[in-house]
Amino acid sequence: MLRYIAQRLAQAAVIVAIVATITFALIHLAPGDPFSAVMDNPNVSETVRQTLRAQYGLDRPLPEQFVRYVGLLAHGELGWSFSHERPVREVLGTALPNTLLLMGVALVGSFVFGILIALFQVSRRGSVTDHVLSGLSLFFFSMPDFWLAILALLTFTYWLPIFPVGGAFDPVMHEYWGLGGRIVDRLYHLALPALTLMLLASAVVARYQRAALLDVLPADYIRTARLKGLTEPEILRRHALRNALLPIITLVGLSFPALLTGAFFVEKIFSWPGMGYAVVLAIGTRDYPLVVGGVIIGSIMVTLGSLLSDVLYALADPRLRSR
Amino acid sequence: MAAMRYTRLLCALVVCGCVGTESSSANNSGGTLAISTGGDPDVLIPSLVQSVQGAQITDMIYDRLADIGDSLNTLNDKGFVPRLSDHWTWSADSLSIAFHINPTAKWHDGLPVRSTDVRFTIASTKDTLLGSPATSLITNIDSVSAPDSLTAVYWFHARSPQQFYDAVYQLPIMPEHVWKSIPPAGWRASDAAKNPVGSSQYRFVRWIPRVAVELAADTVNYRGAPKLSRLIWSIAPDFTTALTRLLSGETDFIEQLRPEDVPEVAKHPELRTKQNHALQYSFTQFNLRDPVNHSRPHPIFGNRQLRRALTMATDRGALVRSVYDSLALPALGPTVRAYPTTDPNLPQIPFDLPRARQILDSLGWRVTTSDSLRSRNGRPLQFTLSVPNSSKIRVQFAVLLQEQLRQAGVKVDVEQLDYPVFLEKERKRAFDAAIGQLSTQPSPGAVRGSWGTAGSRAASGNNFGSYENPVFDAYVDSAVSSFDPATRRALFTKAYETIIQDAPAIWLAEPIQTIGYHSRLQLATLRADAWWAHIPEWSIPADKRIPRDNAPPSASPSTPPALPAGQKTP
Repeated sequence: MLRYIAQRLAQAAVIVAIVATITFALIHLAPGDPFSAVMDNPNVSETVRQTLRAQYGLDRPLPEQFVRYVGLLAHGELGWSFSHERPVREVLGTALPNTLLLMGVALVGSFVFGILIALFQVSRRGSVTDHVLSGLSLFFFSMPDFWLAILALLTFTYWLPIFPVGGAFDPVMHEYWGLGGRIVDRLYHLALPALTLMLLASAVVARYQRAALLDVLPADYIRTARLKGLTEPEILRRHALRNALLPIITLVGLSFPALLTGAFFVEKIFSWPGMGYAVVLAIGTRDYPLVVGGVIIGSIMVTLGSLLSDVLYALADPRLRSR
Repeated sequence: MAAMRYTRLLCALVVCGCVGTESSSANNSGGTLAISTGGDPDVLIPSLVQSVQGAQITDMIYDRLADIGDSLNTLNDKGFVPRLSDHWTWSADSLSIAFHINPTAKWHDGLPVRSTDVRFTIASTKDTLLGSPATSLITNIDSVSAPDSLTAVYWFHARSPQQFYDAVYQLPIMPEHVWKSIPPAGWRASDAAKNPVGSSQYRFVRWIPRVAVELAADTVNYRGAPKLSRLIWSIAPDFTTALTRLLSGETDFIEQLRPEDVPEVAKHPELRTKQNHALQYSFTQFNLRDPVNHSRPHPIFGNRQLRRALTMATDRGALVRSVYDSLALPALGPTVRAYPTTDPNLPQIPFDLPRARQILDSLGWRVTTSDSLRSRNGRPLQFTLSVPNSSKIRVQFAVLLQEQLRQAGVKVDVEQLDYPVFLEKERKRAFDAAIGQLSTQPSPGAVRGSWGTAGSRAASGNNFGSYENPVFDAYVDSAVSSFDPATRRALFTKAYETIIQDAPAIWLAEPIQTIGYHSRLQLATLRADAWWAHIPEWSIPADKRIPRDNAPPSASPSTPPALPAGQKTP
């Protein structure tokens, strides 16, 4: 197993390196300039523009910039963010915990919620409730994440003002409250963006889990369980669910990229100061090091997610573990 | 609504025992102003600021020697209000002005403001290593001397009607003791940039990137304490989110409402709107040079008569009404109505579609195809109109203009571009036509850079359409150097008439800035160039305060930078 993990980690490193190189090339080749605001100012002279480019090493040929960047990476540095005027490591170091918190809550919530819905549907399979829930999950499954985010924002912050309008905490009152208040404030602000992501992801989980449960229900061991006199909820929980979890474990790995890209839009709309929000803004301002740094961290998260699901799969399935 | 939400949350927190000790005692706070804004400031260094948020915040932290009056007069010192300088004296030949520094003025770290700070501000801005966008605005200032600690003398290269304006408006004064030891190339990244020390009525408290910037009243300021205790710029890059914060009561103020948002704001009895003539205008700029070979005229727009015909085919009034409803006026030309030098009755090329068709016919552009489009020698009358996709307003203009010009037999392909790409195309002059928008300075002389020959020929010039007319240049130069207000206005009028008749652009709209704010706020005058200029005079009556008004400033104030050896804080 350890050898397998080591192999996968080596593959992951190669993938991350390729992704970083492609991103570096694409963002630098895209038209535009990190100093767009400066360029748009009629008072800025060419000398000033050249000075700024030279200060950030953007006057050097692209291959030279790439070599310098790789040198930085080798030293564990991700470069200097032009738009934040601080190291990329620092910018992402502040943003990443917020993204992980949002994604983590959404991931756990969506799997718990999605599996419960699937169990509920299967226990009433063929009924009106089952059809309604299938329709609802299809509805959320097909809904664009940014659209659902805007809808949730308007519904629960404006028409029904239950939640705050974005942000990770209340910038006006947060400092005023004690530790407990600050935690409540954080959770209060986390609720709506996490729920939005959770709704999107749980629809997928529910559909997968329902299908997996329906696949195992005709199996002999389920029939045996019924003949033993177990109740239907017990059969579902103790026998069907445990055997139908394998596809869902795969889904954990697949959910990482989906959640990460979803978080990009959700973070922007809810002004959640996470990595997605920072990278989206960085693309607009052509903050090359921040974009590449964000992509590197994102690709590491995705490859690790995929590795995690493979390992979990192997642990959960004795047939794979024995190979 | 906000009060209800806060009360609900506050009650929950009290029940949980979560509220800090500060809450137990109400203070005599003047209230908190929370402003919805679309982004972080770029930097909080006055000589490097580019973004509007950066300008708003640095203007609250740093003072100028004197501030421009609400009339925006830029001639001599008429209407200017004393700030760090309590009075000034002109030399007999007007080639120098001696500013006397207010002896009670202090930096927020407690050190007194001195004339050497003034000298340092100008000298550092002129240093090319700093890369300040203000450098080109202070070229007439030769140097600043400091004969004593409270006198700063500005020396000018030439006598000019705007020399006082140039001296005081372009740059707030910065503390030498904070910045002197930092190499200019390292200013942006320095700790001092993240903990600015100013001298104005608000001091910096904290900046949480992508979340908020907080300032607190400087209660011992030489100009007196401002009425509001705390200012918070609450950042939301998505406009819907920023607006929803105002509508739900999380913020008190938004600086620009879209036309479609005004009815929504009107549904809220606690909210108000107010209009302000801003220094902005938009236009469809024609590229007069061939985008591929700049040495040749543009195959379509190189012809003055054709440009006039396109302007005639455009119903600008209808365009502006469609896009802005009543929140903009048709633009007069490369100017705004807020300038004292602008004649609001400037003659325009009228909307006259039949006449436009006649002109196009006479130029050989005739309708030959079944789809009513014009062509000449097999070349269709067709061009690409570039717009940044980040501006919904400009995209709307482009689509409407496309339809209006189609009726004259002109085919317009609208090209929506990412903003940096749009800018790159403009800078390289690699476009046919583009919808641009300019925010100008209080000085009408800024028109030289955007529409003058110098701005066309310099590689970094911002006259992207390459319009060149020596008559226009001469009128502008004469107007800028005129000391007599009437003559100045007459000369600017001549310049505007010249450019309007040359039609290097279709002048589209002059937006009227419409702000949204909570009725508990009592606003002062909104200045056309900077609505925020009078924030220290804004207030919230005691009976209209909500819980956030009584919250004291953040407990994590900025750490003043270390003082140079031998200096002690008084």
